[in-house]
Amino acid sequence: MSLLAAIHKLWRSIAPRTHSDVEEEFRSTLDAYQEDLIRRGLPEGAARRKARIDLGQPATQNETYRDAIGLRLYDELSGDIRYGIRALRRNPGFAAVAVLSLALGIGATTAMFSLIYAVLLHPFPYAGADRIMNPVIIDDHHPGEWSWFSLSKAQLDDLRLAPPVDSLLGFNPSHMEITGGALPEDIDGIYLTENAGTFFGVRPLLGRNIEPSDAANGGHAVVVLNYRFWQRHFGGDPNVNGRTLEIDHAPYTIIGVMPRSFAFNGSTGVGDVYLPGSLMQGLANVPDLSYIPWIKLRPHVTLAAADAALAPIVHQFAKQHPERFPDHWQLTLQSISMTYRQETGPTLALLLAGVVLLLIIGCANCSILMLARGRSRQHELDIRSAIGASRWRIVRQLLVEAVVISCTGAVLGVAASYWLAKLPLLLSPDSFPAESVIRINLPILVFSVALALFCGILFGLVPALRLSRHGSARVILGRQIGVVAAPAKHRWSVLIAAQVALTLLLMATAGTAIRCFLQLMQMPLGYDPSNVMKLGIMLHVHNPGEWSHIQSREARITYIEQIQEKIASIPGVSPVAVGSDDATPPYTGAERSFEIDGTGDREQPQARVMLVGQRYFAVLRIPLIEGRIWNTDENTRGDFIAVVNHAFATRYLSSSNALGRQLRIPGLTSRNRFAAISAQSTGWRQIIGVVGDVRNDGVDRPVVPAIYLPYTVVMSPWAQFFVRTQGDPLTYLHSIRAAIASVAPDQQISNGTFNGTFTLNDAIEHDAQYSRQRLFSILFGVFSVMALALALVGIFSIVAYSVAQRTTEFGVRLALGAPRAHVQWVAARIALVSAGAGIVVGLAFDSFLGAVLARWMQSAYAAGSLFAAAALLALSALLACLLPARHATTVSPAEALRYE
Amino acid sequence: MTKPVELPQGTLEMLILKAISLGPLHGYGILLRIQQISGERLEILQGSFYTAIYRLERRGWIKGEWGESENNRRARFYRLTAAGTRQLKTETAKWTDMAAVVAGILDKKADEI
Repeated sequence: MSLLAAIHKLWRSIAPRTHSDVEEEFRSTLDAYQEDLIRRGLPEGAARRKARIDLGQPATQNETYRDAIGLRLYDELSGDIRYGIRALRRNPGFAAVAVLSLALGIGATTAMFSLIYAVLLHPFPYAGADRIMNPVIIDDHHPGEWSWFSLSKAQLDDLRLAPPVDSLLGFNPSHMEITGGALPEDIDGIYLTENAGTFFGVRPLLGRNIEPSDAANGGHAVVVLNYRFWQRHFGGDPNVNGRTLEIDHAPYTIIGVMPRSFAFNGSTGVGDVYLPGSLMQGLANVPDLSYIPWIKLRPHVTLAAADAALAPIVHQFAKQHPERFPDHWQLTLQSISMTYRQETGPTLALLLAGVVLLLIIGCANCSILMLARGRSRQHELDIRSAIGASRWRIVRQLLVEAVVISCTGAVLGVAASYWLAKLPLLLSPDSFPAESVIRINLPILVFSVALALFCGILFGLVPALRLSRHGSARVILGRQIGVVAAPAKHRWSVLIAAQVALTLLLMATAGTAIRCFLQLMQMPLGYDPSNVMKLGIMLHVHNPGEWSHIQSREARITYIEQIQEKIASIPGVSPVAVGSDDATPPYTGAERSFEIDGTGDREQPQARVMLVGQRYFAVLRIPLIEGRIWNTDENTRGDFIAVVNHAFATRYLSSSNALGRQLRIPGLTSRNRFAAISAQSTGWRQIIGVVGDVRNDGVDRPVVPAIYLPYTVVMSPWAQFFVRTQGDPLTYLHSIRAAIASVAPDQQISNGTFNGTFTLNDAIEHDAQYSRQRLFSILFGVFSVMALALALVGIFSIVAYSVAQRTTEFGVRLALGAPRAHVQWVAARIALVSAGAGIVVGLAFDSFLGAVLARWMQSAYAAGSLFAAAALLALSALLACLLPARHATTVSPAEALRYE
Repeated sequence: MTKPVELPQGTLEMLILKAISLGPLHGYGILLRIQQISGERLEILQGSFYTAIYRLERRGWIKGEWGESENNRRARFYRLTAAGTRQLKTETAKWTDMAAVVAGILDKKADEI
């Protein structure tokens, strides 16, 4: 059945009989009665009249019918709606301003709601996502920090049997290469325990997910694709199932494609492909045969109970693998949405507050417009009330008109919200779960419809009550003729004041956000990020032929140095090899414990350890404060030397000369079986130099102590290069590729995140505080511009309306010799005074509220921006008053008197 | 001529159900039958008649179908549905009960109280 037919059927069940059907029946009864009366001796005319008096008029019978079956309210409301739409079309200017005011507010609020829905209420597509937990361990010495841990397959199976566990997923993210094509391509693969399909409970877009049967015979060589990878690599080919994908020189059969919302997982990196975990056993190139667990709890198990039940089991595991755990620690289960809720929740709350303010301002605007216009409609309403409309009926009519405006605004707003909601995701992508997909769905539509009705009633109620108050007495006098000064009491003056105060609040918040962002941008970084690009290379561990050439530490150093020299030979390029994965400021280094000779047994001092080449400081332009940087030979050896940053020197070496002191880092090894480690990596090292501080804990946070060591100390099967270029680094990409290819023809450049390469400026833009401040500055800037526009439109239209209403009065004033300036003052007075009152109230409130908002924003509150905003607002309000007020003085007295 | 009786609220619908229970009727036929049974003592016109018919049909107690009247005119004939029959029965029982109780009270003599 088509939709139209369904609607038709529904309609028939509500009102089964048609208009003509009802009328025909009534007429037949009427005729029968009339004939009867004639037979009883009445003359035809009298019989006709009596029949109609007794039974009623055929013309109104359908109304009686609809009334009887309970459609009266519906009929009246639809009449009101039709009338409301007609009234709007008669006043397109009013309608456009009112609808747009609300469309802005409703659109922004709906956008923010859909974002909150996607990020906080429904971030993950997994079945029972609210019961899925990350088990993390918290080191007793560092209670603020937590870390994930990994388990062997056997331990995973032990944990699965624990009473609070409903099901358990183990996963192992791993770098892989797609081979067999022209150039190898780096991808992120994730090995999953074979219960993945049921654990996630997400229906694949194509084919199937990994199933327990895939574990048979050491694991089937099958692969499930991530949606984005499928789009990127296969162009969204719907017939991809059954095809073969060559990964690390081995063929895998594609069995399924996951839907777009499935992006497991945003925390360790979204996988391009998902493979059965049993395969890991048979592969030579998996660095670490362990799984990170995700636990789905049984329903109604509390977190505390689960923690208590699981802690002894995990403590047992720690005894088997003490190297994977710190000395003293606690187990805690964290909801997988916790990090986002903690980090993104306040951001969204603040933005929601902003859009709600915008919505309130929009509603106030509509109220003002309706009140202003209502004075010209007073006559119509008086007539309605004179011919018997009750006050409730008039209020209803006006409310329906308001709701018509707000619903029209909502339609525009919801359409716009689809794009608006994506704005924060674009501006601050790392703050939101990769799984969040913004789409307009049922809860969001319900929300926006409810919001539209609420807004309509909110802004319609004051004008409706106000305009319906007059009795019918005035109608008899006809339209007001003559010179009548405007009534002194104006509801709208309160509304204007409120609107201006709220606008000021938004503007001051935006000012604070923008000022903080500017400060952040001017913060000294300690290094020069411009024109520095990061490149990664993966060493070919899966290819035995190639691997044998670079397996030994020495061979690997030679290989990397060779590539570095080739890159350096390109004119205008200076590269440096970097060992750590996390050497990219503004957030660098792995936190490690160390010991300093001569300071006794202080409790486990910590510093960020960075593995870099000796040219790192030159390439990033980090100044040397004392001593020297290691040389090429020391770089190759790796041991016995260290360079520290200034923060390290002041914190740990304050009393004596830093140079020559000894330190050692006991934990400096790697569990990766492809890592190459220097002979004395955990041995004593002499501090040979102190360098300047580089932001290493985020752009806005103080620099923490850091130790720099040669990258050859611990060499993972991958390496990175930082390349400083003259001019835009991306233009050098081609020649750098060629340089690398001249050393090893099939050595690819990593194309992981950021499309393979990214610059240090990109890294700053991805910093959490930086992107949050930028998000706030841009969005609150936009909000306050919108709010300002709305407030000005409100002021402008109220003055313009009152000038139009009082044309006669102004004409007479001018005729009697009033100076033009005085007439302008009379015209603009009330709006000016209310705007002024709004600014004063706003200033008082904002110095309090602004401080609260600024703390939410995690930035200092700037009072200066409040006064700047107030001055701007006052100036624009003045203009908005005076422009229409000038019109009052252009009235010629003769014309004004003819006007009525 | 006997004095006309005014109908209490809500009884018109019961009377229409009763009139139709004796056999399908069109609108005017229902009017005539009620007047005939009541001995011309009920004044049920005044426009509320069709409102009652529409309501009964809406509730599914009566069902209307087009047919031909005795003088070959198209007319809508109403008959009682099963639900209407049940409704008439309960209404009748309720009414009789109530009438008996009220009459019993009103009939009491002073010495019986």
